[in-house]
Amino acid sequence: MASSGSGNSHEAWGSRIGLILAMAGNAIGLGNFLRFPRQAAANGGGSFMITYFIALLLLGIPLMWIEWGIGRNGGRYRKGHTPGMFAAIWRHPAAKYVGAVGLVVPLVVMIYYTYIESWTAAFAWFSLTKDYWGHTTQEGMIGYLQSFQAISPEGAPVYHKPWTPYAFFIGTLFINIYVLSKGISGGIEKLAKIGMPILFLFAIVLAGVVLFLPAQPGIGATPWQGLEFIYKPDYSRLGEPGVWLASAGQIFFTLSVGMCTLTAYASYLSKKDDITLNGIATAATNETAEVVLGGTIAIPAAVTFFGVSGAMAIAQGGSFDLGFATMPVVFQQLPFGNLLGVAWFGLLFFAGITSSVAMLTPITAFFREEFGFKRETVAWSLGALCLVFGLMHVYWLEHGVLDEWDYWAGTFGLVVVAVIEVILFMWIFKPNKAWESMHQGADIRIPQIFKFIMTYVTPLYLLFILGWWGWVDAIPILLNEKSAGGGVLDPANTPYITFARAIIVLFAITAVVLIKMAWARNKYDDRKGFVEVDRSGEGA
Amino acid sequence: MSTSAIVFMAGSWTFVLGLTFWSFYKLLQDKKHFDPDGIGPAVPPKPGETER
Repeated sequence: MASSGSGNSHEAWGSRIGLILAMAGNAIGLGNFLRFPRQAAANGGGSFMITYFIALLLLGIPLMWIEWGIGRNGGRYRKGHTPGMFAAIWRHPAAKYVGAVGLVVPLVVMIYYTYIESWTAAFAWFSLTKDYWGHTTQEGMIGYLQSFQAISPEGAPVYHKPWTPYAFFIGTLFINIYVLSKGISGGIEKLAKIGMPILFLFAIVLAGVVLFLPAQPGIGATPWQGLEFIYKPDYSRLGEPGVWLASAGQIFFTLSVGMCTLTAYASYLSKKDDITLNGIATAATNETAEVVLGGTIAIPAAVTFFGVSGAMAIAQGGSFDLGFATMPVVFQQLPFGNLLGVAWFGLLFFAGITSSVAMLTPITAFFREEFGFKRETVAWSLGALCLVFGLMHVYWLEHGVLDEWDYWAGTFGLVVVAVIEVILFMWIFKPNKAWESMHQGADIRIPQIFKFIMTYVTPLYLLFILGWWGWVDAIPILLNEKSAGGGVLDPANTPYITFARAIIVLFAITAVVLIKMAWARNKYDDRKGFVEVDRSGEGA
Repeated sequence: MSTSAIVFMAGSWTFVLGLTFWSFYKLLQDKKHFDPDGIGPAVPPKPGETER
C-alpha cells in the first residue's frame, strides 16, 4: 500500500487535561441531567442503581477502553474514521464498508441533537428575559414549550413568532460548525476548557440550591424525599429484564459509546500516550456529573414543588417535560429564578454542545484524510447538510421524524456499532493483541479480569441487548406496528416516517460509495493494510 | 430518607467520586510514561511498574 491517505491532517491534542475535558464533554450530555434521574426513578430506584453499576462495569468501562484502543490504533495509520480504523484491525475488503455505520450514525444524531440543543439555548434566553414568567403550572409551561416548537394544538395560544425555533436552531448549528472548523486543538479542546468548568459550576450551584429548598406550603415534600424517590430500592424490580435493559441503555447514552466519537478523538493520540488512565478518568468524570449532580437537580426539585405523586406523573411524561416545563415552573417561584433558569439551560447547552461538536469529527476526518479537503471546507459543507436536514426536524417535529432518527441512530444504531467494535477488536484483532495495544504507553494496568470481560461478557451482553431490542422494539417499529417515540403510530405520520428512514438509507449508500471512491483514489490494498505514520511528536 | 435509600445513595456517590478522585490524582501526578520510546511493552506492565 502506497500511503495512508492524502489529507494534510496533522492534528493533535494540545494538552492531556484538554483531552480529558473534551472526552468527558463528549460523554456528558443532556442525558446526564434529564434522562438519568427519570430512568432511575422509573425503574426501581436503588435497584436500578445496582443494575446500572453492573452495566457500567461490564459494558460501559470495557467499551470505553475498547473505543480508545480502536481509535488510537487507527491513529497509527492516520485514520480518524471508522472505515479506516476497522480496515486497520481487520484486513478484509468488507471491513471498510462495515465502518460506514460509524460515519452515518454520528451524522444522523448530530442533525437532530443540535435541534434539541437549540431548545436549551432558546430557554436560557427566555429565562434571562423572563419570557415564560406567568406560566406557573406544568400544563401552562407545556403549552409554552409547544408554542416554541410550533406544535401547539389547534386553537391553543401561541407565544412565539413562527421563525423563533428556526433562528435558535441556525444559531446553535453555526456555533457548532464554527468550533468544528477550528479543529481539534483550536476549536474542540478550547470549547471543552471553557464549557466544562462552566457546566460543573452551574450544576454545583443548582444542586446546592435544590438541596436546601424549603418544603412548599400545601405540598410538604422536601428535596430529600426526591432523593429517596430516586434511590429507594425496590428489590422486586431486579427480576425484570426491562430494568436491566434500561440501565444498560442509560450507560450507552451517557458514555457516548457506539457513537464513534471517542474513537475519533483517540485517533489524535500517539502510541506513547496513555489511554487506560485517560479512559477511566473520562468515564469517572461522566459518572460524577450523572450520578452525583444529575440525580440531585431535576427530580428533587420536582418532588419539592409537586410532591412525590406529582413528580412521578411528570417523570412518566418524559425527560423534556421535566427539563423544559417542570424546571421553569420551579424557577419562577425562587429568588433570582431567572438567573437559575439561565444556569439550568446554560448547563444543558454546554452539556449538549460539547457532545454535538464531537459527532461530526469522524466524517470530517474521513474527508480530510482520504480526499485531502481543507478542514474549514469540510466543516462548513457538513454544516450546510445539517442545516437542510435539521430544518426538516424543525418543520416536521410533530410528525415523529425526530423520534424515528433517535431510535434508529441514537438508540439501536449505538448498540449495532458497539457490537461491531467489540467483535472486531476482541475477536478478530484477538484478545492478546488488543490487550497489548491498550497498554502501550499506559499509566495504569487494567485489571486482568477485564480481559475476560471484554472478550466474552461484553459481547454477549451486547448481543442480548441487540436481540431483545430487535425483537421487542426494532421489528414492530420497522413494521409500523408501533411508534419510535412510544405508543401507537398515527397512520397520518407514516409518509413522514418513511421519508425519514429513506434519508438514513440514502446517507448509508452515499457513505459506502464514498468509501469505495476513497480506497480507489488512495490505492489501498485491503489485504496488506495501511502504512504506519510516525506521530510520536504529536498527541497530548 | 429511609436507611436503604441513604445506603444506596452513599454507596453510589462514594463509588463514582472515589473513582474520579483516584483517576485525577493519578493524572495530576504527571508521571513519565513507562514506554518512552513508544514501542510498547511486550507484555502488560505489572502493578507498580508505572510508578517508576
